[in-house]
Amino acid sequence: MAVGLTACSDESTLDLAGMFSPQGETVNTRFEQSMAHNDSVGEIHLDMGADTYTIYACSDSHVTRKSHRNLDYFMAQYLAAPDPKLAIHFGDLIDAQKNYPCADSVLHLGGVAVNDEALSGSSPRLFITPGNHDIYFKQWPVYRSFFGTSAYWFDTRNGSRKLDLFICLDSAEGSLGTLQTKWLKDLLETKSKEGYRHIIVFTHTHLWKLDGSQGHTSNYAMEETYELTSLLGQYHVDFVWSGHQHARQSVFFKGVNYLVLDATKDKEQGQSYMTVEMGESLIYHYHNYPKE
Amino acid sequence: MKRKLLFALLAGWMGAVSLTAANPGFGTRRYSIAVMGEYSYNNTWGHHGNLDVQALLPFNPHFEMEARQQFSTANVYTTALQFRPKFELPVGEMFIETDVYCRLVARNRMSDLTAALEVGYRMDYVSVTLGLFTRVMNDWDRDWHSNESFVAEPFNLLYRVEVFCRPQDNRWNLSFLFSNVDDYQMERMWQPLFGIGAYVDVADHWRINMGAQCKPTGMFHLDATFYGATARAGFTYRF
Repeated sequence: MAVGLTACSDESTLDLAGMFSPQGETVNTRFEQSMAHNDSVGEIHLDMGADTYTIYACSDSHVTRKSHRNLDYFMAQYLAAPDPKLAIHFGDLIDAQKNYPCADSVLHLGGVAVNDEALSGSSPRLFITPGNHDIYFKQWPVYRSFFGTSAYWFDTRNGSRKLDLFICLDSAEGSLGTLQTKWLKDLLETKSKEGYRHIIVFTHTHLWKLDGSQGHTSNYAMEETYELTSLLGQYHVDFVWSGHQHARQSVFFKGVNYLVLDATKDKEQGQSYMTVEMGESLIYHYHNYPKE
Repeated sequence: MKRKLLFALLAGWMGAVSLTAANPGFGTRRYSIAVMGEYSYNNTWGHHGNLDVQALLPFNPHFEMEARQQFSTANVYTTALQFRPKFELPVGEMFIETDVYCRLVARNRMSDLTAALEVGYRMDYVSVTLGLFTRVMNDWDRDWHSNESFVAEPFNLLYRVEVFCRPQDNRWNLSFLFSNVDDYQMERMWQPLFGIGAYVDVADHWRINMGAQCKPTGMFHLDATFYGATARAGFTYRF
């Protein structure tokens, strides 16, 4: 572990300087560092040993020193579930500055592609995309030390047979940036011809503002909204999963299903996580967290 | 560091250009037509140019209309109509605006229709507008035999605050603006635009307009970064 944090503490949640100027690495820099990491790890192919498997997905856990009950519950449910399975977190793992050690239930898995052990056949695996809370206050180096990369792809297989393609995008500052957008286009151009059963994109920032539920969270610029939805539709992406707005939402546009998850944050109204039975069809189940 | 400096400079150009060019200031409004050229860059469309044509039609002291058309080399075409009843007050002027923008995003084969209702108030040195707008995005290739549909975003806040260096009927002016709309786009409420606008009357019928705009992204992610910028220049002919 490149960065050692010995104690979990709660610091400021308001990075005011970050409202007006980038305080840490911007998305293009994070993307370049992520690609370097991806190159060193190699491609990730998960042999699920079956055509069907289960995904556990949650978003916006916003853990703090005093508040990580729901995330711990989610991880316990996931770890107790029968194989084959994998877990995905749609970002905002932590809430504030210096909260990473509070997310111990996730971090002890090693995260995505940190080491071979995390990718071996039967290990529990959790894939994650960064949210704005994960990287503000110049926290990208800490995120990177735990998870290695913010933009990557992996696929699931049954033996030599390809099943599903998953693409993780870094939208932590409300834009994919120029380099990542080009990478996404090139990747979809190549991978959409390889006969995957489903193509799934997951990222933190949601694309639509259907109602007032998202509070003061922002989306992409309109130009980027047009371009992204067009790109995802053009290459027949089946699903886009995201979080950020802390409220469930479903949109079907240009042939793509956009799904936004509720938050996993403790004491949030409508806390829930999702399980997805991956097969020829996707079957969603939403699970409320137990009340305190 | 260089990027941060550039971003800070652009963000410092407070004020989006929405009222910059064709707006001659209240009290002296005349039928006019404006033509402007724009250089623009954003992270999605890259470098591109726009041609703007605007007409102001002040039918009487209490009602005026604006019509605008923008042609972009990014293969995007926008038509905007604005209806504005207005009322003189002892100090300043109150107005009610109805805006309809139709943006044909041909490069992505989709359209973005927005309609707004606003209330505004302006004095010599400041103009403030507040309202709501609705957005409907539609795919030109929609599959009518599926549950695919248009996307409606029914309630968005619209805001526009413009500060002028001189009274609005002066022969020249410089304005700074903070807004989520400009003459051709309505951004979501958490996606503000910053800009600067200027005009100078060079003759009774002729006015030169200039403006610039900066669009950051992620401000309300508390992780802002540069997204795009526009510079524009042109002239207005007043009849």
